Amino acid sequence: MAWSRLTPGGRALAVLLPILSIGGAALTALLIVAGPFIGATIGANLPIVRFLAASVITFLVTVPVAFLLIYMEMKIIALMNLRIGPDRIGPAGAVMSVVHGLKVLMKEDFTPPSVDVPVFTLAPVVVYLASFMTVMVIPFAPDLTSAGLEFGLLYFFAIGGLGVVGLMMAGWSSFNKYSLLGGIRAAAQAISYEIPLTLSVVGIIILTGTLSLPKIVEAQGGSLLDWFIFRQPLAAIIFFIAITAEANRTPFDNTEADQEIVAGFATEYSGMRFGFFFFAEYVNVFIVSALFSALFLGGSNAPINLPFHPEINVNLGSLGVMLPILAGLAPVAGTLLFAAPIYMVSSKIKGWQALLGGFLIFGALSTAAIGFWAWAMLPPIADLLFFLLKTFALIFTFVWMRGTLPRARIDQLMGFAWKWLLPASLLNLFATAAAVLLTS
Amino acid sequence: MTTQQTRPSLDDPRIAIPSTSEWYEPAPTAQTERQAEFLNLRDGEMFINMGPQHPSTHGVLRIVVKVNGEQVVDLDPVLGYLHRGVEKLCENADYHQAICYTDPLEYVASLFCEAAPVAAFEKLMDVEVPRRAQYIRVLTMELNRIASHTLFQGWMALDLGGITPILWSFIERDEIVDMLAALTGQKLLYNYYRIGGVNGDLNHEFMSRLGNWMSRAAAQIDSNTGLINENELFVRRTRGLGTLDQATALRMGVTGPNLRATGVPFDLRRDHPYLVYPELEFNVPTRDEGDSLARYMVRIDEIRESIRIIDQVLHEMPDGPVMAKLPRLIRPRPGRAFGAVEGPRGAYGVYAISDGTDQPFRMRIHDPSFVHLQLVGPLTRGNLIADTMAVMASLDPVMGGVDK
Repeated sequence: MAWSRLTPGGRALAVLLPILSIGGAALTALLIVAGPFIGATIGANLPIVRFLAASVITFLVTVPVAFLLIYMEMKIIALMNLRIGPDRIGPAGAVMSVVHGLKVLMKEDFTPPSVDVPVFTLAPVVVYLASFMTVMVIPFAPDLTSAGLEFGLLYFFAIGGLGVVGLMMAGWSSFNKYSLLGGIRAAAQAISYEIPLTLSVVGIIILTGTLSLPKIVEAQGGSLLDWFIFRQPLAAIIFFIAITAEANRTPFDNTEADQEIVAGFATEYSGMRFGFFFFAEYVNVFIVSALFSALFLGGSNAPINLPFHPEINVNLGSLGVMLPILAGLAPVAGTLLFAAPIYMVSSKIKGWQALLGGFLIFGALSTAAIGFWAWAMLPPIADLLFFLLKTFALIFTFVWMRGTLPRARIDQLMGFAWKWLLPASLLNLFATAAAVLLTS
Repeated sequence: MTTQQTRPSLDDPRIAIPSTSEWYEPAPTAQTERQAEFLNLRDGEMFINMGPQHPSTHGVLRIVVKVNGEQVVDLDPVLGYLHRGVEKLCENADYHQAICYTDPLEYVASLFCEAAPVAAFEKLMDVEVPRRAQYIRVLTMELNRIASHTLFQGWMALDLGGITPILWSFIERDEIVDMLAALTGQKLLYNYYRIGGVNGDLNHEFMSRLGNWMSRAAAQIDSNTGLINENELFVRRTRGLGTLDQATALRMGVTGPNLRATGVPFDLRRDHPYLVYPELEFNVPTRDEGDSLARYMVRIDEIRESIRIIDQVLHEMPDGPVMAKLPRLIRPRPGRAFGAVEGPRGAYGVYAISDGTDQPFRMRIHDPSFVHLQLVGPLTRGNLIADTMAVMASLDPVMGGVDK
């Protein structure tokens, strides 16, 4: 048969197509027959289904986010270091971090003989779980939250603070002095920075009167000046410094300072257990950035509210058979339309150059038009995009800091928290409370 | 020693046996000095063993740090992991081969390790080095000094936790190293100086690369230093750390930038001139503070002075031969000679004794890194673990030279 002459991709297709078609037909038949029953079951157990869906969604969010962040960090820091960075696997090395994850998964999972085995095994789970569970309360868009808890902020600080327990467990159980120092540093740092972190947010809680993250985002909906970064600038600065320390990022990455204590709490870990620490670190960065953008940068609110509300109703169905013809013709016509003036500007411009320029201009304009339409007509997607844009801008700031700054010493770090951040956050709290009292 | 009851602790020398029944046996008598130290630890103290494989020891150095929490109580550098017996090897090689053995001692600036023995042997032989060869030596040595100092700058920032500066400094170092490779054929261990001159005249590729680099060197150095010098975190971590006073520095035999950072303007290039340095115009940068930041700043100023020297050398270099007329087999008269150069880390000296044969009777190498490594203990005591790295980096020892 022609089997031996097929490429590997062709073989995969030849196997998968029948399976998919038969499986799809079977699934459709099952849904038609048992659809009402499944629907009734889901309806009867809605809380359980909601919980399962939320868990799956948070898991689906954290894993790609961690991969994306690892890739971002590798690439951005490489550019800052005037290196090329990952460039072999995938376009511009984009799949590098996934392969990295696979490599970690396949490595030997070694347990040193003198460690405290149960604690040693549990520590990465605790660390990962703590950062994983906080994703649930992040308000990606008004109706796009895994669990829209009324006390979301409190939940966030409570669960987020659990992570340090895992770090201490790892440091203590590893039977290694570097790990011990790393764990103790993590504990000291987390406890010190937890206080200004929490106190700086109390001003916002006073102003909005709620602990629910979606409601806090909603409170910033008016205009750009309603964002809390403008109403609570001091709190924003304190909060930013504190989350840098909470996420163990440079310049506050004393817990895993490789020049001093090798790898801190993770010194004795290998394989996927180390991978969990690594993942948790990046998920943490994403979470704290998301929290900052929700609390201070208006979350999913657009920076500028349009003074008009465009109603773009394009009824594509009414075009009938003209739709495919138009869709085929529009790019050609648009390209030619924009290429003509470029071609006429100078005789030095060759035909293909003009066509390329025209195609690029048409592409940019049509993308902008579709984007504008989506912004006007599909608010959840636009909101999600704004939220992610702000979050990733903050993540970029963290990566930028890592590329630029040296590390603070542990005593400077602690002194800064207790001598400057704590009084400043108390001052901010006092001023906010006084202002609220005087104006009401 | 006291018969104290040993408790289960991370510092137990019999750590490999986790059986609990052993912990309550009477304390063993210390067999070695190190074991005695372990058994005499006070409450709350512990030893941390840094190296020989550790991310921030420059080369293969082991430091045993006694810490109380984060604070360093005592610190003991353990040397010898890189010992090759270079001095003894040199005694069994003829004078040309001895230069190859001293070459890899200070491997980040190996031209200075050639210049010192070559200077000593030339004194033994009483040869006059041609003027052009002298200028070429000054030119290449200053280039190597810049390469070493830029690398130091990156190392210093890396040991304080910044990752970008080291890669930025490697741009400079790579350019200089490639330049010297075009001249000497080697990137790290050049083996370029010969007794009585240098091995080969300047070539076109070297000169074009050098001209290219000189046109942007100052700006590049400024951009590299701008990343670190004005950084609040860097300055706060190094200012006032590991302060070395003049008296101690002179008593310990400190030389080079580490001495000049305490305010003593001692530079062999000016005070005991060799080659054509007396004819060149340059400053000896000093600082008065004597702390890690001062040691760093002195080196940065020296880079600028070196660029100035290279500029003058390129303008004044005469034509002529690059090698003196000497017999193929070198057999100096019996006697002794001391040759010293001002290396990037301090005075680098070689004391050679000749007994009239074609091999040196005795060769003693004075390496500044060895002297400076003694200071790590006294300067770090009482500071934090993180400061050990900052002090080590600012003293800039190279283990190849320490262990010889």
